[in-house]
Amino acid sequence: MNKTLFLKEFKSNYKIILIFMAVLTMYSSMIVAMFDPKLGESLKMMEQSMSDLFNAFGMGNSATTLIEFVGNYLYGFIVIVFPMVFIILMVNRLISRYIDKGSLAYLLATPNKRSRISITQGIFLAFALLLLVIYISVLVILVSQILFPNDLDVSSFLLLNIGLYGLLLFLSSICFLSACFFQEARFSTGVGAGILIASVLLQMVSQVGDKFEFLKYATPLTLFDVNGILASHQEAFVKVGVLYIVAIILYFIAIKLFKRRDFSI
Amino acid sequence: MSVIEVKNITKDYGNNKGVFNVNFSMDKGEVVGYLGPNGAGKTTTIRQMMGFIKSDQGEINIFDLNSFEEASSIQSRLGYLPGECAFMDEMSGNEFIQFIADMKEVKDKTKIQSLKERFELDGRGKIRKMSKGMKQKVAIVCAFMQDCDVYILDEPTSGLDPLMQNRFIDLVLEEKKKGKTILMSSHLFEEIEKCCDRAIIIKEGKIVCDRSMDELTKQKRKTFTITFKNKKDIEQLSVKFKTGTIEAKNFTISLYSDAIDTFIKEISKYEILDMNVQVPTLEDMFMHFYGGDNHE
Repeated sequence: MNKTLFLKEFKSNYKIILIFMAVLTMYSSMIVAMFDPKLGESLKMMEQSMSDLFNAFGMGNSATTLIEFVGNYLYGFIVIVFPMVFIILMVNRLISRYIDKGSLAYLLATPNKRSRISITQGIFLAFALLLLVIYISVLVILVSQILFPNDLDVSSFLLLNIGLYGLLLFLSSICFLSACFFQEARFSTGVGAGILIASVLLQMVSQVGDKFEFLKYATPLTLFDVNGILASHQEAFVKVGVLYIVAIILYFIAIKLFKRRDFSI
Repeated sequence: MSVIEVKNITKDYGNNKGVFNVNFSMDKGEVVGYLGPNGAGKTTTIRQMMGFIKSDQGEINIFDLNSFEEASSIQSRLGYLPGECAFMDEMSGNEFIQFIADMKEVKDKTKIQSLKERFELDGRGKIRKMSKGMKQKVAIVCAFMQDCDVYILDEPTSGLDPLMQNRFIDLVLEEKKKGKTILMSSHLFEEIEKCCDRAIIIKEGKIVCDRSMDELTKQKRKTFTITFKNKKDIEQLSVKFKTGTIEAKNFTISLYSDAIDTFIKEISKYEILDMNVQVPTLEDMFMHFYGGDNHE
């Protein structure tokens, strides 16, 4: 890893990280604040009347405890989709833009190996995602403690966030690979972003009714099984392990491709 | 000893784009001008030298290292100026120069300071807001900030005003005195004529000319126009110099350097009213290579 490049990326991108933290602050604290042990009943009624809509956003399980509530309403959609946008944006800024604009020429005209440059960019992306996940975790724990002291099962919640980080790492590895592989800018950003968006849409469709349930096998988001993790199902932890392993493999392939490809810069 | 060896490289982009069987080598201390019309393959060659793209065939060695496989080892002794200005826009000029210096692990910052003074570069503003010329100055500082053995410069003076172009020529001549090996592509013949020992011309991906400046100069034909007092003298002269043309009392002839001596000695026998010598510029000669097929 190159420290100079890492610090440069931090300086160029910290504002974006802050903006996403702000957006997540708004949503997460709102959702936690909406929790009301008594509200469970009325929400259940609402859910029964609009079960398809609730299901689509992964909020199909009526939640009675705080952690189920957070898992259902926050970890089903919001903390996946916003970081997804963040990933698409960051991969563009860390890889595609350098290639497209040609400023990569300056980086490659230094005594740094190509692999060192791509590893630095990859580590920065993983680091930025880690910042987001740690931030969300701390924030939700704090807000919960303030509003509903001792209601949140912190250890299960932390496990959930380890799972979330695995999912985000995996999604970022898809975009990273696409950016390192494709020559043209529209493909290098487009293919990665397209896969991510398609994954979300497929998951939403698969959660509506039994007819399309099979589609859950077509989206990697299924590997992040919120209810399974909260219920301490062994299978759910294996799925998280798969996310981490595949993410590392995809990053590894991306770095290999970056090393051998042509840069028309 | 050859510092740069370009061995039979081919990079075919289809539609006759790319470079084909390009061969040349450069010795230590040589300054070579790399010329050719737009799209001829200058930048494609340079990208292969820098290890940005892989050759389909052939290889390039710089310091006896493969330009693609061992690019990072070469880069520590090489200064590069890209043909296209693309920086990290959000940085200021100074921040960018500092960043590149750190990436190159340049400890001694005195050269950066003297380069900035020489080119009157104020690097405080954001690069995004800089003019083309200012950006080019930033690129020059980045290329020369380190004491390198080889410099590869892709159109180094594009966007610079004439004063700065001259300062750049001085800089290249200074580096040349220090024994540096320099390859520069350019469209400015004056610049090439002043700096380079040799010119390589590429056209449609193939090298069409690789000659030393001395050779090129020897090939220059000067055009003499002599006005004689007596018309019959012209007729006598034209018997000996058949390529000349006669117009009223003027005799016009183009000669290579080695024929000038005999010519002058011959015309000294006659009474002459006036004499005019036209020296072709290097540009006239290169235009032959640049131009379309009608010249060939």
